[in-house]
Amino acid sequence: MARRHIVATVVGSALALGALVAAPTQAAPKVTLQVWGFGNVFEPKIVMKYGMIKGNKSWETQQQALIKKKQLKVLNPNVTLVISGGGSQPDAAYFKLSAALPGNAAPDVAAVEMAYMGQTRVKSTANQFIDLNTKGANTIKGEYLPFRYQQGLSANGKQIGIPTDVGGLAVAYRTDLFKKAGFKSDRASVAKLWPTWEKFIATGKKFQAKSSAAFIDSSGNMFQAILNQGTSKYSNPKTKKYDYVRAGSGFKSFAISNPAVKRAFKLTADAGCTSRKNGKCSGSIGTKIPQYNTGWGAAIEKNAFATVLAPAWALDYITQFAPKTRGKWDVAAAPGVGGNLGGSMLTIPKKADNIDAAWKFIKWYLAPAQQLDTFKQYKLFPTTYKLYKQPAIKNYKDRFFNNAPLGVIYANSAIKLKPILAGPLDRAIDNQYGAALSRVSFGNQTKAGCGAKAQTTEAAWCQAISDIGRLGLSGK
Amino acid sequence: MGRTKQVSAIARQDRIGLLYVAPFFVHFLLFGAIPIVFTTFLAFFNADMDLYYEFMDTFDPGVLGNAFIGFDNFRELGTDPYFWLALKNTFSIWAISTIPQLIVAFGIASLLANPNLRASVFWRTLLMVPNITSVLAVAIVFQQIFDRDFGMVNTLLHYLGRGPVEWTNETMPSHVAISMMIDWRWLGYNSLIFLAAILAIPKELYESASLDGASRWQVTRFVTIPQLRNTITFMVVMGTIGGLGLFVEPLIYGGSYDGGANNQFLTMTLYLYKNAFLNMRLGYGAAIGVGITVVVILVSIVNFLITRRIASEDSK
Repeated sequence: MARRHIVATVVGSALALGALVAAPTQAAPKVTLQVWGFGNVFEPKIVMKYGMIKGNKSWETQQQALIKKKQLKVLNPNVTLVISGGGSQPDAAYFKLSAALPGNAAPDVAAVEMAYMGQTRVKSTANQFIDLNTKGANTIKGEYLPFRYQQGLSANGKQIGIPTDVGGLAVAYRTDLFKKAGFKSDRASVAKLWPTWEKFIATGKKFQAKSSAAFIDSSGNMFQAILNQGTSKYSNPKTKKYDYVRAGSGFKSFAISNPAVKRAFKLTADAGCTSRKNGKCSGSIGTKIPQYNTGWGAAIEKNAFATVLAPAWALDYITQFAPKTRGKWDVAAAPGVGGNLGGSMLTIPKKADNIDAAWKFIKWYLAPAQQLDTFKQYKLFPTTYKLYKQPAIKNYKDRFFNNAPLGVIYANSAIKLKPILAGPLDRAIDNQYGAALSRVSFGNQTKAGCGAKAQTTEAAWCQAISDIGRLGLSGK
Repeated sequence: MGRTKQVSAIARQDRIGLLYVAPFFVHFLLFGAIPIVFTTFLAFFNADMDLYYEFMDTFDPGVLGNAFIGFDNFRELGTDPYFWLALKNTFSIWAISTIPQLIVAFGIASLLANPNLRASVFWRTLLMVPNITSVLAVAIVFQQIFDRDFGMVNTLLHYLGRGPVEWTNETMPSHVAISMMIDWRWLGYNSLIFLAAILAIPKELYESASLDGASRWQVTRFVTIPQLRNTITFMVVMGTIGGLGLFVEPLIYGGSYDGGANNQFLTMTLYLYKNAFLNMRLGYGAAIGVGITVVVILVSIVNFLITRRIASEDSK
């Protein structure tokens, strides 16, 4: 998931910050933690409560200003946090980390995106990280959503990561555009329009017949959303492998034969191509606008589309990129059961300089109290699921989204998910299916294949399969 | 006697000279030669990151032995349609960006060479600004300029009554857009090199041309351009080096390592990176690296032959 960091100005609520009680500081030894993240894994207003920020001028200045105004008392003045990678892409962040792991440049804390956990949990790679059970991860295990916590478990039984937020999944929709198209716009009626993905697509077609706006921003997002609702993805849960075997000129693998994958592909392709002209795709329930950038924000303000498949963290992007649409949004349950997009793990590399201090920081940053704080300020939904029963989450509403009970909606979607086994090449496979689906909807599937003509869903699938065959799934 | 003294003096001078150039060779050895040898070695293995970590942990040669696959990676490379596609794309973007760039740069340089131009230092400085701007920022701005739905270019085309151009989803438009990005960054730099070369042309040549009654065009064609031969060769060589290593622009422009959903602007280095890191196939990525090296060597030979021809024409 592209989770770009949005520069938010700190208008620190004096109340929340002032209420902090600082731990008595004895002459604790000075520690500098190298913390590598990406996107918005580390949120400035939260981390600056823990230690002294360094290496990021704007965060440093914000922290200094708050300290001066006596609105912030740093919990561990002896700890310096050097946080890097904010705003970067998870891919680039992972490549950088994987190169640094065996050497002396390894950081103390490293964030790994969920899509890369499959690679990270393989034995020799997992050995590059500290088994957090040796630090007492067992004692906090019960706090976290089981399916998210399990993503941090390596193939050889080590707990190498603790989950940050959970995306969850819901549909954010524009009440004004729904009304204009003659649809009911309250969230209960809207959710009834799409109990299943098939109904979601059908509703999209109906909507577009009556509206000049497209139904969804990007239909391609559906693929991962549908897959994440299942119990398996590309690895066979029984053999724990991709089950790659050469067969004739092609190959067999669970990654291409899993019915769940085929179904998700077919549904997403149907959504991305609802009508054809001269064989080329000419209609879709979505726009072709890439997500989460300024063009996307402009499109929202110009009423270009009516819904967004929104993990909790995406709501913050809507708020930041299209502030003028305040109050015009509402949020309803997603089609299917539950849902999730995105999320990451915090890990400690074996070669880290300050393992104990790193663990203390991770434990603090991902503890229920801080996750709640992060949710309130940045809408990253907590993985510490006992919070879901607390009034702070249960009664949480957001005016921007027409007072939708976001806490309840996202809690319901997150707790219904089951663990899915991740394999080492999942990110690469995701990429090939994703490219094939955009070839269908953009009308540039120029290669024919498997007896199907160019531009067809079948030809795109066929090319995706042959591309996946080149990834080296054998033995993995 | 005198002669041997002279020789030993030269030898000493040579040794001092070697000392002066040593830093370059040490740097080249560490960051050029050794990685090239290592990459070539790696290309014979079915290696991924996990294998690399296992080897770093154990230093057990058996780990490497099991992963040795001989020439398999190279055989695969020969039949890999994406490598050939990447090669084609790389050359296409190179040609689209370099040729117009040289012509426009020459035009700009000719304007700046005019002795009556006011504030010439200002114009020359201005030309260098794009070159010192971060590639990342340039790529993001161009991504917005060529945005399909809200981009400046398509908005203008819309007012001219033309349909939206698929600046990322179609092959040629995407090559043009990426070339524009490269040109924007390098146009000023190349103009200044042209300018320096033009200013270095002896005035006498122009004087005698004007005595012969040559027109402005004839002066350009028969005096200026022949005098710039070496400069043009230099710029083509530099352009080729940059062009074959094209990476950041297509990466940011497409936002992925695929070079577009249909790999329409997948370049060679992008393909190397995608295989080695996204697909975790270090061995195959290394084989692609060797493939790129072969391409570079072939191009260099062509460049060398052309340069030699031009040089010999000069001495005629």
